[in-house]
Amino acid sequence: MTNVLVDETSNNLNQPGEPESWRRFFTFSTDHKVIGIQYIVTAFFFFLVGGIFAMVIRGELITPEADLVDRTVYNAMFTLHGTVMLFLWTFPVLSGLANYLVPLMIGARDMAFPRLNAVAFWMVPVFGIVLMGSFLAPGGPSQAGWWAYPPVSLQNPSGALINGQFLWLLAVALSGVSSIMGAVNIVTTIVRMRAPGMTFFRMPIFVWAVMSAQIIQLFGLPALTAGAVMLLFDLTLGTAFFDPIKGGDPILFQHFFWFYSHPAVYVIILPIFGIFSELFPVYARKPLFGYKVVAISSLVIVALSAVVWVHHMFASGTPGWMRMLFMFSTMLISVPTGIKVFAWVATIWGGKIRLTSAMLFALGGLVMFVFAGITGIMLASAPMDIHVNNTYFVVGHFHYVIFGATVMGVYAALYHWFPKMTGRMYNEGLGQLHFVLTFIGANLNFFPMHPLGLEGMPRRVASYDPEFAFWNVIASIGAFLLGMSTLPFILNMVGSWVQGEKAPDNPWRAIGIEWLVSSPPTHENFEVLPIVVSDPYGYGKSDPLVSNADALEVAHEQH
Amino acid sequence: MSSTEVDPVVSQQTAVEVAHEHEETDNRMFGFIIFLLSESVIFLSFFVGYIVYKTTTLDWLPAGVTGLELREPAINTVVLVSSSFVIYFAERYLHRENLWGFRAFWLLTMAMGSYFLYGQAVEWSSLEFGITDGLFGGTFYLLTGFHGLHVLTGVILQLIMLGRSFIPGNYDNGEFGVAATSLFWHFVDVIWIVLFLLIYIWQ
Amino acid sequence: MKLRTGLILTAAAIVLAVISLWVGQQAYTWMPPQASAESILVDNLFSFLVTIGTFIFLGVFVAIAYAVLFQRAGKYDFSDGPHIEGNVTLEVVWTAIPFALVIWIAAYSFQIYDQMSILGPMEHVHMGMAEAAPMGSNEGDKPIEVLARQWTWEFRYPEQNINSTELHLPSNQRATLLLKSEDVIHGFFVPAFRVKQDVIPGEDIIFEFTPVREGKYRLRDSQYSGTYFAAMQTDVVVESPEAHRQWLAEAAAQPPMVAYNEAYADYTKASEKGSRAGWKTVPPAPPPLVNYSGSPLTQE
Repeated sequence: MTNVLVDETSNNLNQPGEPESWRRFFTFSTDHKVIGIQYIVTAFFFFLVGGIFAMVIRGELITPEADLVDRTVYNAMFTLHGTVMLFLWTFPVLSGLANYLVPLMIGARDMAFPRLNAVAFWMVPVFGIVLMGSFLAPGGPSQAGWWAYPPVSLQNPSGALINGQFLWLLAVALSGVSSIMGAVNIVTTIVRMRAPGMTFFRMPIFVWAVMSAQIIQLFGLPALTAGAVMLLFDLTLGTAFFDPIKGGDPILFQHFFWFYSHPAVYVIILPIFGIFSELFPVYARKPLFGYKVVAISSLVIVALSAVVWVHHMFASGTPGWMRMLFMFSTMLISVPTGIKVFAWVATIWGGKIRLTSAMLFALGGLVMFVFAGITGIMLASAPMDIHVNNTYFVVGHFHYVIFGATVMGVYAALYHWFPKMTGRMYNEGLGQLHFVLTFIGANLNFFPMHPLGLEGMPRRVASYDPEFAFWNVIASIGAFLLGMSTLPFILNMVGSWVQGEKAPDNPWRAIGIEWLVSSPPTHENFEVLPIVVSDPYGYGKSDPLVSNADALEVAHEQH
Repeated sequence: MSSTEVDPVVSQQTAVEVAHEHEETDNRMFGFIIFLLSESVIFLSFFVGYIVYKTTTLDWLPAGVTGLELREPAINTVVLVSSSFVIYFAERYLHRENLWGFRAFWLLTMAMGSYFLYGQAVEWSSLEFGITDGLFGGTFYLLTGFHGLHVLTGVILQLIMLGRSFIPGNYDNGEFGVAATSLFWHFVDVIWIVLFLLIYIWQ
Repeated sequence: MKLRTGLILTAAAIVLAVISLWVGQQAYTWMPPQASAESILVDNLFSFLVTIGTFIFLGVFVAIAYAVLFQRAGKYDFSDGPHIEGNVTLEVVWTAIPFALVIWIAAYSFQIYDQMSILGPMEHVHMGMAEAAPMGSNEGDKPIEVLARQWTWEFRYPEQNINSTELHLPSNQRATLLLKSEDVIHGFFVPAFRVKQDVIPGEDIIFEFTPVREGKYRLRDSQYSGTYFAAMQTDVVVESPEAHRQWLAEAAAQPPMVAYNEAYADYTKASEKGSRAGWKTVPPAPPPLVNYSGSPLTQE
C-alpha cells in the first residue's frame, strides 16, 4: 500500500535501506537537512578564508612598522576579513543551523518554501566568488573597511567603473537578497507549520531565537539595501547622496548603515543564545530556568535593537541630545540580555553537569559573553565611548562576542548535533583538545586589545607607535594559536563523519522532537507528524514530549 | 470495485490533499505578505532620506529648476490608483470563475500600468535636470525610478498570470498567483501615493 | 531562603565587592596620563564602570565555576536533576536590579558628559556649565583651526597667522578648536585628553577641552581615512602660558617651510623605486607649508 502522506519524489534511494548518496550535497536539493549542511560546510570554508586574512593582519601587527605587506594590501585584508566573516561565515552558518534544526524541532517535514530555500543557499557561493573575484579588479578589492563609509569608499583611485568597491557592494546586495529569502522562509515555517500541540510557548528556545533574529533581518536589511543602493549610485553614476563636495551628507550613510548593522549583531547573537538555552538543560539535566521569560526576552531584544544604532556614532556627526538618548536605549538592552545570562546560570546550578565538548564550548562561550557584555556597557556610556571609540577596545569587545560567544556557540552546536546530522559520533578527546586550544587562543588574542584601546591604539592601523608592541605580540601569538586550533576540529569532523562510531537516535538522552527520530533523520523526517503533549525541557519529570513517539520513524528505511 | 462505488480510502486521501494544498496556499500568501512588508522598508528608507535631504540641504533645487509640473503626474496618479480598482474587479470575476471577464479587466489593468510607465518616461525626458543634479535630482530619479521598476515588475507579473489563465486546470490548486500579483499591485499603488505626496505635493 | 545560604551569599558578596573596588582602583593605571580636565572625569567614570563590571563578572563566573567543579553528574548517574522550572521572585530581582543599575550608570554618564561639555557638531552654544574649564579661557580669541587631509594634520592660528604641524596649547586654558576636513572623514583623537571627534568634510565643527598637564602627547587619526591612515599622527605640546606665547612669537618669525610628512615621503619613495607593492592609491596631499613643525623641516 502506498503512503499518500509521504512525498517520496526526491530520495536518491535505489534500494530500501540504502543510505542517501553523499552526492546530494552538491546538488540543488530542496531537503532542508541537505541545505543546512551545505550552508554549514560552505560557511566553514569561508571561515578559514577569513581566518587567513586575520593571520595576515596579526602577522603585520606583530611589529610596529608596516613591513609585512603594502598598506593597501593590509587595508584590503581588514576590510575583507570583516566582510567575509560576517556575510560568508556567520550569517550562513547560522542559517545552516536554523535550516537544519527548525523543521525537526517544530515537527515539520521541511521548510515552507523548499525551492526558495535552495535558491537562497546557492546564492552564497555565488556572492562569495564575486567578493573573492574583487582581488582581480582594477585597484584591488575594497579597502574602505566593512562599513564602506563615504567619502573613502567613493574615492576609487583606479578610476574604473567595475572596481573592488563595486563588486563589494554587489556581493553584499546579493547576500541581502539571500538573507531576505531565508527570513521569509523561516518566519513562515515557524508561524504556520508547527506540529499539532506545539503552541508558541511549547517551542524550543532555539526556535524562538531564530524567529526573533529573522524578524530583525526583515525590517533591518532593507535599510542597508537602501543605503547601499545610494552609495552604489554615488560610486558609479556620480550622484550626490553622500558626497560632501556635491552637497551630500556622509553622516546619513552612517545612519542607514548602522540602522541595519546594529540589529544585525542581534541577528547573530540571538541564535547563539538559543543554542545555549538548548544545551545547558541537556548537559545539566535540568529544565531551562524561566523558559517563558527567556522566550519573551528575545522579542524585547528585537524591539530594543531597533533603537540603539547611534551608539556607533557617538564621536561622529551627532548632536549631544541624540548621544544621550541612544546611550540610554543601549544600556537598557542589557536588561533582557542579563535575564538570559542569569537564567542559564540558574539552569546549570544544582544540576548534574556533564562536560562534553558541546558543554565546554557553551560554558566557555557564556563566560566570554559576560565579559563582552560588561565592556559593552562601558561602550554604551557616551563619555567613555568617546575615548575608546575606533580603538582596539571596540575590536576586543566585539571579538569577545563574535568569536568568544558566537564561534564557540557554533562549535558547541556542531558537536551537539553532529551525531544527529551525520549519524556518527565524533571523537570526544579531540573535541576537548579543540576547546582548550580555542579558549586559550581566543583569550590570548582578544584580551590584549582592551588595554591597547584604553592606551589609545586606533583600530584598522597597519602600523603603530612602538609603545603598543607588547600587547600586540601577545595578541598575534594568540591568533596563531587560534589558527592552529581549527586543525583538531577539522580532523575530528572529517574523520568522524567518514568512519566514526554509528550514532543512536539520542546519544545525549536529550528531550526534543529531533531526538525522537533516527540519526540522521530520513528524508521526510517523520512517518506521521508528531503530536506534542507537554512543555519543552521536561528534565526531572517523566512526561512524554509527544503522544505518538513510536509512530514517528519512517518504517521502511533503516540506517 | 465497481465504478459507481467510491473508494473510501481514496476520498479520504483527496480530502487530506485538499487541506494540505489549502494550507500551502495560505503559507505562500503569508510568506508573500511578509516579503512585501520587508520591501516596504526599502521605500520607507528612501522616503526618510528624501525628507532629511529636503529639510536640511542648503541648495535643494538645481539651478534653473523652479519645481515640478503637477498636471501630467496627477493624471498618471489617477490612472494608477484607478487601476487598483480595476484589478480588484478582475479578481472578483476570477473568483466567480468568469475567465473572460477576468482577462478583460486584467488586460485593462496592464494597459493602465503601461500607460503609467509611458507617462513616467515622458515626464523624465521632459525634465531639465538629471540624476546627478544635486540631491533633488538624485532623490527624484531614485524614488521614481525604483517605483517605476516595481510597476514594470507588476505589469510583467500580470502578463505571466494572463498567459497562465489559458492553461487548462490552472486554478485547480487555488488562485495564489493572481492574488499575490494583485496584492503587489496595491502595494505599488500605496507607495506611489506616498511618493506623490512627498515629491509633487510637498514642494 | 535559609539563614546559612544567606550568610554565605553575603560573605561572598562582600569578598567580591572588596576585590571589585580594588580592581576599580587599578583601572586608573590602565589609562594614559591625565593630561586634560576631561580625563579626570572620564577616568572616574571608567573606574566606576570597572568596579561594577568586575563585581558582575566575578559573580557570574564564580557561580558557574562552582557548579562546574562541584555539581557534576556521577560517572554512572544517568538520572535527571531536580525539575525546577523557575522562580518568580528571582526573576523579578534579577530584572529590577539590572534595571536600577542601568539608570544609575546612565545618569552618572550623562552627568560626566555634561561636565565635559566638549561640544561637537551642530552645537555652537555651551549646553551646560563648562566645568572642565578651571581657569579663564581664551574665549574671544578665534578658535585654532585644525585642518585634516589625507594624510596630514595642519594647525592654523588665525590670530597670529601661524601654520604648524604640531599642536601647541597653553596649559590650564580652555582650548577651542575648529575642525575641518578637506577630503574624507578623519578623527581628531588625543588619548591623553580622552577626547575624540570625527572631522567631517563639509562641516565646520567647534570642539573644546582643557589641557591641564604640560607635556607632549600623541594625536592620532581615529576614523579610517584610506591608505596611509595609520601614519596620520602628530604631537600635541601642552606648555605654560608664557612658553606658549614665546612659541607663538618664534613661529611667527619663521618663514614657511615644507614640513615632513610620512605618508608623502613613503609614497614618493615607493613611486621613485618604480614599482609599488600594492594597489593604486589616492596620492597623499603634498606636505603643508608651515612656520613650525615638530619634525625635521626641509627647505621649499
